[in-house]
Amino acid sequence: MMAKFLFIILPYVSAAIFVLGVLYRFWVWGRTPVPLRIVTTPAPRTRAGVVWRLIGDALWFPNLFKGEKLLWAAGFSFHTLLWLLMLRHLRYFLYPVSGWVEGIQALGLYAGYFVPIPLAVLFARRLVCEKVLYISILGDFFSLLLLLSITISGVLLGVFFRTYLVDVKAMIQGLIHFHPSVLQVHWLFGLHFLLVMVLLIYFPFSKLMHSGGLFLSPTRNQRANFEERFVNPWDFPVAYNPLNLSTPEKYHQALAGPKEGTKE
Amino acid sequence: MKVPVPIPGIQIGALQHQRCHPSKEKDMVKIDLPKERQHDWKEVMLKKMAEVLEKYRSVRLFMDICVKCGACADKCQFFLGSGDPSNMPVARADLFRKVYKRYFTLGGKIWGRANEAEELTESVLQDWVTYFYQCSECRRCSVFCPYGIDTAEITMAAREVMAAAGIATKYVTEVVAKVYDTGNNLGIWSPAWKDNCSFLEEDLKDTEGLDIKFPVDAVGAEVLLVPPSADNFVNTNTMIGYAKMFHAAGISWTTSTYCNEGGNFGLFLNYANLKKINNRILEAARELKVKKIYWGE
Repeated sequence: MMAKFLFIILPYVSAAIFVLGVLYRFWVWGRTPVPLRIVTTPAPRTRAGVVWRLIGDALWFPNLFKGEKLLWAAGFSFHTLLWLLMLRHLRYFLYPVSGWVEGIQALGLYAGYFVPIPLAVLFARRLVCEKVLYISILGDFFSLLLLLSITISGVLLGVFFRTYLVDVKAMIQGLIHFHPSVLQVHWLFGLHFLLVMVLLIYFPFSKLMHSGGLFLSPTRNQRANFEERFVNPWDFPVAYNPLNLSTPEKYHQALAGPKEGTKE
Repeated sequence: MKVPVPIPGIQIGALQHQRCHPSKEKDMVKIDLPKERQHDWKEVMLKKMAEVLEKYRSVRLFMDICVKCGACADKCQFFLGSGDPSNMPVARADLFRKVYKRYFTLGGKIWGRANEAEELTESVLQDWVTYFYQCSECRRCSVFCPYGIDTAEITMAAREVMAAAGIATKYVTEVVAKVYDTGNNLGIWSPAWKDNCSFLEEDLKDTEGLDIKFPVDAVGAEVLLVPPSADNFVNTNTMIGYAKMFHAAGISWTTSTYCNEGGNFGLFLNYANLKKINNRILEAARELKVKKIYWGE
C-alpha cells in the first residue's frame, strides 16, 4: 500500500502540482504589467544584450560576486553542481540515453558527492551570521534541509546502499508511459524518492521560484533604450484640483495676458 | 575590497524613534489625498495593496522570489549608519512581505506566523511609517541582489498604500503641494522668480560687464531650461553659468514660472503625484512652444 502510494500515486500528483503550480506563478507574474522602466544600470541597450545579461545572471551570479564572496562561492558551486547532477539523472528518463548524458555521467556523479558541502556552508551561514539569521524564516531552513536530505541520501545510495538501477529506470519509464509499477528497493531509496516528490510539491509555492522569476525581473530584463517611449498600460490623465493655484489653464491665461512692464 | 564604513552589528530598534513629521491637512487636500489617517485605514490599505500588486509586476515578483540570501543586508546606508536590522533592504521589504503573505498568499493564510505572515496591525503600521520613510530609494541594494530586487519599488509601493489611507509625511507632502501652487519645490512665486532673474542680469552687468539676459516665460524660445529651483535662489552661480553657456552657444532659451523645478518629490509619495509633477514639464514646454527641454536635477 505504501509502495503503491509512493511509486504510483505520489509521482503523478507531485508532477501535476509542480507543473501547474509553476505555470500558475508565471501566469500571475506575466499578466501583471510593468508600468515604468526601472532597469538597473549599467544595462544592455539591445534585446540580445538582455539575453546575455540574463544568462550571465542565471549561471554565475555576478551581483553576488560584487558583494559577498563566501555567499557567491557557496551559491555558485551549489547551483552548478546541482545542474550537473540533475542532468546526470536524465539517464533514468531517456531511452535510449543520449550521448551527451553518457558523457557527463562521471562529472555528474562527482557533482553529487560534493553538492552537500556548499549546502552545509549555506546552512551554517544562516545560523552563524547574525544578519542572515535575523532575516531567515522557517522556509529558508526547510528548503536547505530538504535539499541536504535529498543530496545526502543520494550520496549514501551511490556509495553504500547501491540500488539496482535497471529496476529504477524501469519504474520511471513505466511512469512516463502511464503503466506504473511498484518498485522493491531499500527504504533509503524510498526516502530519496519521497523527498524529491516533496520538493516538487513545495517548489511552486516557495522562494525556490526565484529560478524562473529572475527572467521576469524588470530590473534585469529591461533595456536601457531611454530614447524610446515607454508606455504604461494603465496610465491615466492628470487632473488638477480647485485648490491648486498653478494649473495649465492659469499658465495659459498668464502667457496670453498683457506682458508685464508694458505699462511703462 | 576596501570597506569605507565598518559594518555594524545589529541593534534591534536603533532607529525606531526616528520618525518623520506627519503630513498636514492643508497640504494633503491640495494633492488629492485624504486629509488625515482614515478611520478604516486597514481596509483602505489592503484594497490599495491588492491594486498595487495587480499594477506592478516588480512588487509582486519581488515579494515572491526573494531567497533571503542577505547579500543586500549590509548595502544600505541606513543600516550601515545605525545597525538597525529593519533597515537591511531585505528586512524592510519583509515589513511589506509579511502583510502580503497574510492576505494575498495561500501559504501565509494557512501557516500564518510560521511562514512570516502577519496581520496588518497598528504596530505593523507604525513600523511601516518608520522604516519605509528611512529609505532614500537610492536602489543600491538592487545592484547587489542576484535577481535585481529593487527595494525602492517596495518602498514606493508601501508609501502609495499608506498615502491612500491618508498617512504621509510633512516634508514630502508640503513640497508636492508647493509645486501645484508655485511650480517649484521651494515655493518661489512667479514675481520672485522674475525678480531674481533680473537681479542676476544686473549683477552680471555690474561685476563682469556682460549683457546677458535671463529670459522668463519667453514664448517661442528654442530651449526650455528646467533647473533645480535652488539654482535661482541659493546656488545662483550655477544659474549664471547656464545663462553664459546659452549666450556663448547662441541658443535662445527660457525658464518657465509654471515649471521651474527638475526635482520630483512625487517619487517619494505616489504614482499620481509623480506623474502630475513630471507632466508639468511637458505642459510648460507646449505652452512656450519650445523645441527642446534641458532638464536638470
